[in-house]
Amino acid sequence: MPKWSMVIDLDKCVACQGCSIACRMENNTPAAPPDQAAMGREIRWNDVFPWPPNQAEPGEYPHVKTYYMTRPCQHCENPPCIKVCPVQATYKGEEGIVHQNYSRCIGCRFCTVACPYGVRYFNWYAPEWDPTMRQHLNPDRVESGEFVQEHTEGPIPRPKGVVEKCTFCVQRHDKALKKAAEEGRALRDSDYIPACVQTCTGKARYFGDMENPESTVSLLAQERRAFRLLEEVGTFPKVIYLREG
Amino acid sequence: MAKFTRRDFLKIGGSAAAAGAAATVINRTRGGTALAHPPSEFHFVAGGEETFVPTVCTLCPSGCGIVARVVDGRAVKLEGNPVHPINLGALCPKGQASLELLYNPDRIKGPMRRVGERGQGGWEPINWETALQMVTDKLQSLRANGKPERFAFLYGETRGQMRPLIERFTQAIGSPNAISHDSLNIEASKLAYRMTQGINDLLAYDLENTNYILSFGASLLEAGRFPQRMIAGLSYTRRSRPVRSKFVMIDPRQGVTGAKADEWIPIKPGTDAALAMGIAYVLISSNMYNKEFVENYTFGFEDFEDEQGNKHQGFRNYVLRNFDLKKASEITGIPSGTIARIAGEFATNPPAFAIVPHKGGLLNGSANGLYTAMAVHALNALLGNIDKHGGMLVQRYPACPGWPAMASDRLAEKGRQAERVDGAGTRFPLAQHAYQAVAERVLAGEPYPVETLFLYDANPVYECPGGANFIEAFQKIPFIVSFASFLDETAQYADLILPDHVFLERLQDDFVEGLGYTGVALRQPVVKPLYRTRNAADVLIDIAHRVGGPVAASFPWGDFEELLKYRLQDVGTDWDGLKKLGVWSVPPYEFTDWGAKGWTDVVGRDRQRAPRDGRFDFYSREMFCYLGDADESRLKELGISVTGDAVFMPHYEPVTLDGEEKEYPYHLNVITLMSIGPHSYNANLPTLQEISGMAALTTWDSWVEINPETAQELGIHHDDQVWVESAQGRVRTRARIMPGLRPDVINLPYNQGHTAIGHWAKDRGVHGLDLMKSHTEPLTGLATFTNTRVKIYRA
Repeated sequence: MPKWSMVIDLDKCVACQGCSIACRMENNTPAAPPDQAAMGREIRWNDVFPWPPNQAEPGEYPHVKTYYMTRPCQHCENPPCIKVCPVQATYKGEEGIVHQNYSRCIGCRFCTVACPYGVRYFNWYAPEWDPTMRQHLNPDRVESGEFVQEHTEGPIPRPKGVVEKCTFCVQRHDKALKKAAEEGRALRDSDYIPACVQTCTGKARYFGDMENPESTVSLLAQERRAFRLLEEVGTFPKVIYLREG
Repeated sequence: MAKFTRRDFLKIGGSAAAAGAAATVINRTRGGTALAHPPSEFHFVAGGEETFVPTVCTLCPSGCGIVARVVDGRAVKLEGNPVHPINLGALCPKGQASLELLYNPDRIKGPMRRVGERGQGGWEPINWETALQMVTDKLQSLRANGKPERFAFLYGETRGQMRPLIERFTQAIGSPNAISHDSLNIEASKLAYRMTQGINDLLAYDLENTNYILSFGASLLEAGRFPQRMIAGLSYTRRSRPVRSKFVMIDPRQGVTGAKADEWIPIKPGTDAALAMGIAYVLISSNMYNKEFVENYTFGFEDFEDEQGNKHQGFRNYVLRNFDLKKASEITGIPSGTIARIAGEFATNPPAFAIVPHKGGLLNGSANGLYTAMAVHALNALLGNIDKHGGMLVQRYPACPGWPAMASDRLAEKGRQAERVDGAGTRFPLAQHAYQAVAERVLAGEPYPVETLFLYDANPVYECPGGANFIEAFQKIPFIVSFASFLDETAQYADLILPDHVFLERLQDDFVEGLGYTGVALRQPVVKPLYRTRNAADVLIDIAHRVGGPVAASFPWGDFEELLKYRLQDVGTDWDGLKKLGVWSVPPYEFTDWGAKGWTDVVGRDRQRAPRDGRFDFYSREMFCYLGDADESRLKELGISVTGDAVFMPHYEPVTLDGEEKEYPYHLNVITLMSIGPHSYNANLPTLQEISGMAALTTWDSWVEINPETAQELGIHHDDQVWVESAQGRVRTRARIMPGLRPDVINLPYNQGHTAIGHWAKDRGVHGLDLMKSHTEPLTGLATFTNTRVKIYRA
């Protein structure tokens, strides 16, 4: 059983925001209109921002060093979000991905508070697309249930009042799984990558199976530059960063 | 059958029923932490029949390859084309978001004719037949009256065959006026390469193999000619080889590029040439330059005597006598120790190269742009890294069969001899294009009236500093045709709109530029055109056919596709192969040894007047051919402050600033962002608007970046509303206090403050170029972007 994991090399990342928008186009997150954006209600599952945020001083001129951070869901091995979810809308799959089932979510936002990384996004407003614009939405769906639509994940547009998050592109995963099943084999390390990894302009992102000691992500995770966000809180993220320089 | 959703269920059954349902569902939860399930319970439902079509992006000049995922006839996702050598499968946010361009509700949906007064916004849809007949009648009557030169064509980003097609069309009509927007951006560097190395093109860099990159204002990772190529290359030099490169960014503003660089050196705006000369001083005085190259393959390094026996000063003595570290430090505001260290690092970490923005906006200002670019490129020659591993490369293009001779047409031949409307080559002696100068020249009626104007990817009202003078100039042009896809600031003053497809619907070729070796890519339709738009290239050929006679005879192709198949027949793959892969390139770059066979293609190839002898000119003989007989007053007229031999050599020219220092103490720096980019229509993509202000924590708006020291002096706080005022006017926006810029500079991002285009772009933020005076460098025809002073105060 693979453990999907991502490595992000901040030395190669150029903060272009390609990942943010690849994610948007793959997962149908809406562009927040100006009034909603002004309230900080943009939904970008993988956000890019200056670090530290909130205009904290990155040094005094001319000795200035600004850092930028790119942040998907950390897919913790020990995710605080699932513990607080009263309806089990969010759960960790066997392959380590932290899923979000929109059909079950009741929008209580416990998880958005519990998550120390701030990567869970609440739909404050019903997302809208102009009828023409709607045509580019990704039509893939991930669902189950025979009589009641019990389970929806993936890019299907979410209604107002549910929480959503990075899923490591679960639809791509399931598509690859389906293909592997058709070919009568198990899912392989190289069978799928999330949209952000595919588009990364600086080739700063790596994705693969952390259980496989030979995989690129496993090898990179051994680097001296490797660190995890908020390692001390015991969440054991499966997103590993490599320091700049 | 529509499914009954869980939410509906909740609405009906209330919470008790929901609890019951939950119990049944939990068992089906995907590999839940506690509960197992058979994986077949979950269905991946594909959206429909999918195909993948390769094409090429146009949202910036990188020309990245794209593979579009098309499901049931709708383009639903774009990925980088993994075999395209520029982006190698990657795609930036603009490329990713460009589906919002295709499906943008503000697109022009078919040909339109103006009704009512110009600029009042009255339009009526017409059919293509009527529209093309209108254009044909105008062009025919111009020719019938014997004044074909009164036709002008302003164009922006053209790729592959589009540029020669536009030039050929203009010439066939009988006009010299095919005017490119190059003078707003790449022309400064192009001209410098021509005057020194004799190559009239942008050079490429062997980025992957270099160890040291000295960038004079080239914000490689955000904007410029090929940002994606630069990002990929830089990322490679950092982590994909044993030795990590060093990237030094010299710019008044840090920005994302400076932040990601290994070192950021803030410099006084417009003084890059002085820094380059200071570095040259160190290289020469410490004997750290490449003697073999300089002695054998350059001209004008040492003092020399010409054929008439006149003595001339060479570059060595000019630099040694006029620039030392102290002087360079005084002018640039950079400590002399830093300059010496940078020069030492540059010389001792080969291969290394020094580059200027391939978007000259940052350099331009009263002759300063050209000399700056020459000074920086002279550093490359001092190290001898011309056409060397890890150095500067000459971009090669695929061999294409020649264009058939133009049909004999005495009228057109005479028309083509007329002076150009933009004054390139006459009023502006070194210029090849002077796009922004068209407005003032038309207003002055020089050299003759323009009667018909075509606009392709051209929005001069917005793109040019002080571009509002185009609106006045348009009053004097009786017939204006625009190929715009959006009703932009310029198109709204047109009489007729012949809307082009957006790139995802269009067939067009695209040369792969930025790697040196040849390559051609194909931009092909990924979906059927959504509206009644037509490929502008097809429309031009159609118009030529309708005009008839020799004009039609010069276009022996049925349509653009036929033309492309003719021109691309020898690129190394056949048409079907190109359509399938989307790109064909022929790596690797073949270096030419110094002085070896083919060397004159690398140095001197495009000199028009000076000898093509394979010598790199420190002392520009090409320039001497144009300016050799200019006296002091003529030089002054051309904005050159030095006299004698220095005129023909790289040197520092102080920028003449608009606005008194006392009244307007700060330099205005208009910056291009990675997110929202250079094209006007990008501003109407909601996703790009949302992310445009990432570094400044701003969204859907403009901002002005102010150094904390300056802000404190002025009592301005983060998010205050402030006025930015120049001698030309003022704009109001929000303040962002950022330490990553010089205290005497303020930054305003480009591509906001639109007054047209669409509902997402319109009336949002402010436009920095509105604060600038329309000005053209008298020597080079370049638009000036760096010569504006401003003051700021709280609103």
